[in-house]
Amino acid sequence: MLRYLILCRSLTYAQKAAAVLERRGIDAPIIKAPLRLRERGCGYALSVSRRFSEAVALLKENHLLTGRLYSRSEDGEYREVNEYGLP
Amino acid sequence: MVYLDAAATSLVKPLSVGREMLRAMQSCASPGRGGHEPAMRAAAAVYRCRETAARLFHVPEPERVVMTMNATHALNLAIRSLAARGTRVLISGYEHNSVTRPLQLLGAEVLTASSPLFDRDAALEAFRERIADAELVVCTHVSNVFGFILPVYELAALCRERGVPLIVDASQSAGVLDVDFERLGAAFIAMPGHKGLLGPQGTGLLLCGREGEPLLAGGSGSDSREQSMPPYLPDRLEAGTHNVPGAAGLTAGMRYVLDRGTEAIAAHEQELLAELVARLSVLDGVELFAGAPGTQSGVLSFRLRGFDCEEAAQRLAERGVCVRSGLHCAPCAHRSAGTLETGTLRASFSPFTEPGELEAFCGVLEEILREGR
Repeated sequence: MLRYLILCRSLTYAQKAAAVLERRGIDAPIIKAPLRLRERGCGYALSVSRRFSEAVALLKENHLLTGRLYSRSEDGEYREVNEYGLP
Repeated sequence: MVYLDAAATSLVKPLSVGREMLRAMQSCASPGRGGHEPAMRAAAAVYRCRETAARLFHVPEPERVVMTMNATHALNLAIRSLAARGTRVLISGYEHNSVTRPLQLLGAEVLTASSPLFDRDAALEAFRERIADAELVVCTHVSNVFGFILPVYELAALCRERGVPLIVDASQSAGVLDVDFERLGAAFIAMPGHKGLLGPQGTGLLLCGREGEPLLAGGSGSDSREQSMPPYLPDRLEAGTHNVPGAAGLTAGMRYVLDRGTEAIAAHEQELLAELVARLSVLDGVELFAGAPGTQSGVLSFRLRGFDCEEAAQRLAERGVCVRSGLHCAPCAHRSAGTLETGTLRASFSPFTEPGELEAFCGVLEEILREGR
């Protein structure tokens, strides 16, 4: 299944963002972001498999969209996407 | 034992504090350092602490709640963020050494808004008279020696009007009085976790109206390729592994405060204060430092005629009564009240102090007074 990653500025922002999504019923577990996606080094991301665009819109509305967006294909490749999940 | 030293550390805690600390110690790893379950449990524990503090103090964003070791650590962070050598800093006449020593260490130029004890109008007027010379104001909400409640909300309004940043030391008020981050609009509010918030020693909070400058640099679990601390809160001010059991215990303490309510806690302490003042004021040889209603929190200083305060406290301790004595790390406050040479004894209350403890304390005190030196 295609999954999306929402990179977050920090763990605290990731927690705050996950809480906002959870309140709207969107499951977004916090994971460590792949290092190759983080120019500045270690960080965290939200992993979203459903309602991605809605999740992004919600985070934007709450000023919590602080990092890049990626899709992860089944073969493990990451591709940067826009807020609609498109490359 | 009669414990009347909550202004130093609240000894009796809600049972949930110890329980949550133990749970955290046995199940949590380092927050922000891994993606595995124990690390994420730790992250959740620390985040709950931020969220709970944000709710209690009306902080709009949990990332503005920075975890510290104690109030002194928080005040050092705040002061170093806004002051440097030569900065003109206006303080009240009731500050603790945790404010005055960092200012001294920095080489800041300290101006004091001196005012008489328990005179809130005079305190505000003293700030008004000198604020034009100040680049920063630091003020305690409540004197740790006398329980004097300073007019911090009025002072905050004055600072906003004059464009001078304000640091509030809420060491004695957090968990007891209304400390409203949004209403104060202060640059920083510092507080310990182990007094009125009923958490464990080794915890503190800094509520940040500004980004702040790091006091410590090191691992934050974020932006690890960069050699400067991250530019965002709370990571910027939190280097090194967090005190996760401490955060879990502090959360439990703050939840107790939220459930009982600061108004109810303050009312309880006011009742105790009134009773203790009434009991002590009829004893010959006791000099009380008591203010008018609304000017004093649950902290009462007193002197015993003919006794050195440390010797008197020792006599009380030998009979199971715990009070604080000496200068209480606040020579500035004693200078303002005229007690610098003698110091004072200090009784202070917590939400768990019972009227029976005051009765027992007064009984022991009467015995000591009868026996004399």
